[in-house]
Amino acid sequence: MFTPLITTARESLRYRGSGHVLWLLHRVTGLGVVIFLGTHIFGMSMATFNPPLHEAMLAVYKTPLFSVGEIVLAACLIFHAVNGTRIAILELRPALWDKQAVATRWSVIITLILLAPTIAVMAFKSISYYVTHGLK
Amino acid sequence: MKINLKIKRFNPETDKKPHWETYAVEVEPTDRVLDALHDVKWNQDGTLALRRSCAHGVCGSDAMRINGRNMLACKVLIQNIAKDGDTITVEPILGLPVVKDLIVDMEPFFAHYRAVMPYLVNNDPLPANGRERLQSPADRERYDDTTKCILCAACTTSCPSFWARGEYVGPAAIVQAHRFIFDSRDQAAQQRLEILSAQDGVWRCRTAFNCTEACPRGIQVTKAIGEVKEALRTGVIR
Ligand code: HEM
Ligand code: HEM
Ligand code: FES
Repeated sequence: MFTPLITTARESLRYRGSGHVLWLLHRVTGLGVVIFLGTHIFGMSMATFNPPLHEAMLAVYKTPLFSVGEIVLAACLIFHAVNGTRIAILELRPALWDKQAVATRWSVIITLILLAPTIAVMAFKSISYYVTHGLK
Repeated sequence: MKINLKIKRFNPETDKKPHWETYAVEVEPTDRVLDALHDVKWNQDGTLALRRSCAHGVCGSDAMRINGRNMLACKVLIQNIAKDGDTITVEPILGLPVVKDLIVDMEPFFAHYRAVMPYLVNNDPLPANGRERLQSPADRERYDDTTKCILCAACTTSCPSFWARGEYVGPAAIVQAHRFIFDSRDQAAQQRLEILSAQDGVWRCRTAFNCTEACPRGIQVTKAIGEVKEALRTGVIR
């Protein structure tokens, strides 16, 4: 039962193709965000059910490792949203599949355009925070 | 020029797992990968098993994964994928049971092909002159792209959804269904659409686009699948 799963996971990394790369990224970012959402909902609900645990989780978020993680999360969300929009448009207008090469390029370009200021702002805020509060 | 052919070998009688073997081959830049495989089989190691028939991209028997993506070995020129001294990897297509070396069992693939009723259905009486059922050039053009399929399985076995679930009918079967669904002379479009709207039908397509890149005939496979999805979604066959 698990053999196809293992094959799919391994060969997804080995197969070569331009559309394949975006498909893989879309799935990885989607799953990444789902996993974060689960932990996030758990963490937030602890504000009611277990406030000390909630505080502890918030403290962990204020460490450099998780600051980088936040930026990665933002990158995942932005890519997934932009590329997801591309997929949705092509699904609704099959004639546009002729323009797949252009569409994937724009997917990447728009992601990078949105990502640059996001990373700048997030990194700036994190660094200012560590400058004023010091590293724990 | 000199290249190395790194081939994934598997002999079900002696091997538990596939393994790689590398052969040095002297080729012309304009040779095809199939020529290099012939050199190995005919001059170096006769135990290498591979399938080919026409050697000219028509019969569809030698689809394999070359340098990581599906192609016909008889169609791809060495100079387009390698320089002098490079290594070219060759392995069987994925998602179908390997019989030996580069040969896979195509039966599950053909079963999906048969499942979509890949033949013209028209129960009207023959035209008065007893000859062919006519259609306009525009009607013929509508499904021209999907008539080009040679059933080589390069598309279906490039699809991550098919690797994960062999029950998925796969791109090739959908292309075949498309060829008849959009044929103005055919009358079984609704039956085919019903088959394709089932759990293992078109909705398993995640638009990875590998099929279109893999097709040696240049068929716009993902677009054809999209048109079948559209027909299902809107109920209109255009
Ligand atoms: C690191 C980035 C994030 C931070 C610091 C953050 C912070 C918060 C906070 C403080 C709340 C509680 C709001 C309240 O109860 O008043 C909240 C709620 C929520 N967050 Fe996030 N969040 C982040 C990222 C995300 C992401 C990426 C998602 C979606 C994938 C998400 C989905 C939600 C949802 C669904 C709620 C519940 C909304 C509600 O109850 O009104 N969050 N978040
Ligand atoms: C603007 C926001 C979003 C858009 C436009 C979007 C769009 C899409 C689209 C179109 C797909 C289908 C992909 C395909 O069929 O190939 C998809 C898949 C997916 N999305 Fe999103 N999505 C968004 C937000 C999210 C969020 C917030 C999460 C997680 C909580 C998420 C998780 C997933 C997952 C896990 C998949 C499945 C991936 C796959 O099948 O390969 N998405 N998304
Ligand atoms: S040998 Fe016939 S298609 Fe390649």
